[in-house]
Amino acid sequence: MPLLRVQDLAVRHDGETVFAPAGASFTVRPGEVVLLLGPSGSGKSTLALTLNGLIPHDIEAEVSGSVTVDGMDAASTPVARLATRVGMVFQDPDAQLVTGTVLDEVAFGPENLRLPVSEVLQRSEDALRRVGLWERRADSPDALSGGGRQRLAIAAALALGSPLLVVDEPTANLDPRGVDEVFATLAEIVKTGDRAVVLIEHNLDQAIGFVDRVVVMDAAGRTIADGPAADILRTRAAELHELGVWLPTAALAALRLRRAGYALDPLPLTPAELRAALEGERRPPGVSTRFAHGATGVDIPPLAPRAAQPRVATPRQPHVVSTRFARGATATGAVTVRHLTLHRGTTAVLRDVSLDIRPGEFVAVVGPNGAGKTSLLQALAGVVRAPRGTVSVGGVDLRRIRDLTSRIGFVFQNPEHQFVTHTVRDELAYGLRHLPADETDARIDDVLRRFGLEDRADVHPFLLSGGQKRRLSVGTALVAGAPVLALDEPTFGQDRARADELLGLLTDLNRDGTTIIIVTHDMQLVVEHASRTILLDEGRVLADGPTPTVFADDALIARTGLRPPPLRAALRGLARHPELDGVVRLSDLPGAHA
Amino acid sequence: MSASAAQPASTHFLHGLNPLAKLLAPLPAMLLLIFVRDLATPLAFLVLAYAVLLVGARLTVRTAVMLLLVVPALIVIMTVGFSLWTDTAGIAHDVVVLRIGGWTLYGAAVLIGLATGLRLAAIVALALIAGLTTTGQDLARSLVQQLRVPYRVGYTAIAAFRFVPRFRRELEVIRQAHRVRGQARGPLAALGRGFGYMVPLLAGAIRHAERVALAMDARAFGAYPDRTERHEVPVRARDTVFVVLLLAASAALFAVFWPWGL
Repeated sequence: MPLLRVQDLAVRHDGETVFAPAGASFTVRPGEVVLLLGPSGSGKSTLALTLNGLIPHDIEAEVSGSVTVDGMDAASTPVARLATRVGMVFQDPDAQLVTGTVLDEVAFGPENLRLPVSEVLQRSEDALRRVGLWERRADSPDALSGGGRQRLAIAAALALGSPLLVVDEPTANLDPRGVDEVFATLAEIVKTGDRAVVLIEHNLDQAIGFVDRVVVMDAAGRTIADGPAADILRTRAAELHELGVWLPTAALAALRLRRAGYALDPLPLTPAELRAALEGERRPPGVSTRFAHGATGVDIPPLAPRAAQPRVATPRQPHVVSTRFARGATATGAVTVRHLTLHRGTTAVLRDVSLDIRPGEFVAVVGPNGAGKTSLLQALAGVVRAPRGTVSVGGVDLRRIRDLTSRIGFVFQNPEHQFVTHTVRDELAYGLRHLPADETDARIDDVLRRFGLEDRADVHPFLLSGGQKRRLSVGTALVAGAPVLALDEPTFGQDRARADELLGLLTDLNRDGTTIIIVTHDMQLVVEHASRTILLDEGRVLADGPTPTVFADDALIARTGLRPPPLRAALRGLARHPELDGVVRLSDLPGAHA
Repeated sequence: MSASAAQPASTHFLHGLNPLAKLLAPLPAMLLLIFVRDLATPLAFLVLAYAVLLVGARLTVRTAVMLLLVVPALIVIMTVGFSLWTDTAGIAHDVVVLRIGGWTLYGAAVLIGLATGLRLAAIVALALIAGLTTTGQDLARSLVQQLRVPYRVGYTAIAAFRFVPRFRRELEVIRQAHRVRGQARGPLAALGRGFGYMVPLLAGAIRHAERVALAMDARAFGAYPDRTERHEVPVRARDTVFVVLLLAASAALFAVFWPWGL
């Protein structure tokens, strides 16, 4: 008997018009690891919430079809009873921790089941040991890192003793280190084979290693594929990609390389497989040995001699030595930083940072937690006050600028935080309140059109959809005419689809001339979109250069606790394919422009 | 933390007492102090509360700041404030402390201010006996265990304690975000800004609470009418002793000072 049977499941949330999912069917047997794939809007997370009855018991929704867990009908069995069969791990670790210590947290579930104290403790210890948190049992969950808190949430689900674990985008809120931790923990749990797992995850590069089977839903929320992970992904990758389904980076790369004439059959799914497959075949005719470098127009210089000191501080650039702002930095859209040291309390968060950001650049600021990334971005945008003479935008000292919003726009992580009025139109008008009315109307209409918000102009900003809120927050930052846009972790905590939508928007803005400065943990985002990367560590600029150059320095990347992008791992130092060495982004592969 | 309730009584005995005992024992004195007008009685209770706290509470930075800075500051502010605002019509004019132009500060007004300040400080200090030595979680547990408050309410309250630091961080970010948008200055604008922070803060709070509720249900919260309790917050002999002693001391102080002139 299968552990879980989903049959023709369709769910329509209150107030929605469409069912998503709309006809999903699959089964999960004990011990199986099933990856649920589907484009945005196919209802993956909704489906997850039906598996332990939260829909329809806690969240009102119209449900047809059936979910059967271990012989129990999920729609008519109380959530508390289903909880003994289905453990659940959500996206935001903070929203699923309820007690004051790590041990209390794991014990919470078994206590609810009225187990005797000795068994509560036994289960809690087992679960904490499995995720490697037993030594931290007396700590407050707040003392754990993001990855640690998510591992704790996994332990709390394990302690319920449920044979099925449902895990919904567990790494979306984590930094690279946390992502690694959570995947290592999940892989460890899967290895023992005592739990079945239903996983929703966009980071397939790491998930694909321990997944048995994939179930794919189409945009309408119907199951269109169900089978062994390797078979489905290898044989139907192109079709899935068309659907908007996430694929491993290695598979995406291979699809592109095939277009350039590489055979790559069977389709590689992991960086290691891609590497092995490439080493097993020759360079196709027509692909130049210098393809990658020629195609990007970026000649990759060695970074090593510069890695120790900020690029702009090299003596060959004499204007840097001066404490005055460089000439040529007066163009709007240019940001200049000179010897910026910033303290928070008594600790220095930025130490003698100097940089020049040129108009129209797409710059990513990366680095480990506490490196000073957000502080730098906030100083650039005037969110925190930098000392006189250290930061200029468009050639004017930030401290002298009165109408900052027309020089540089700042977008916070959560768009809702920035909304100050009651309609979308007022929200845009707020940034233009110093201008005459006839001029503002034209500008507002223009922004509404550019950001696809024309028919939402009179709606309260909080009633917009998630994607619309994000677009409005970018619109408000730019409406006053700012040529520079600064964004602090704008994709953090969002699913992949929404992140991609935002990045598409930023790329368009950048193409039209807006300077983009972004702080992020998402290395794939950085290599795909940023033309330049600034690597910070302990408040200092460790590297500053073209993105491919910075990521070509493996030692530097490893030392700062960042992860090399998956393509780098697959392609560096290929013996038979020097033409691919140094490629870090998909769009630089041969075949990408075919 | 939560385990402290189970620890044997040490020199810091307050941490080992039942939260309800610490809450109830000073309560009669706190209520009676409201109706006291003299100086000696609140001063005596202030001394009593400080003695109990200094002997029985672990001296952390927070405790020290509370006892040595906040409470004395409270007395000073209340004394000054009330001596300035007291209506001079109904008080004695024989002692003059200060005279500036046509305005006179009378000694009687200062005494009224001081009495008010001491009274309030004494009540606060008595409340701190429980406040500085009890975790919110232990309080919630003893409410469930002794006062039979439904555990769904008690444990939801425990979960809610975790919201506070989160909201504080969120409020700070919202203020930054609004500052970036550019704001008007002045007290009226400040009031408007305060309301402006409420909407995003509440929206975030409601969403967060919903998610926490789902996560709790997913872990079988509310499955049975009761749940296993690992942390007993028992009522022991020492709790009774503490309550009786503190009540007796309160009664003795009131008897000695008898501030009502009856």
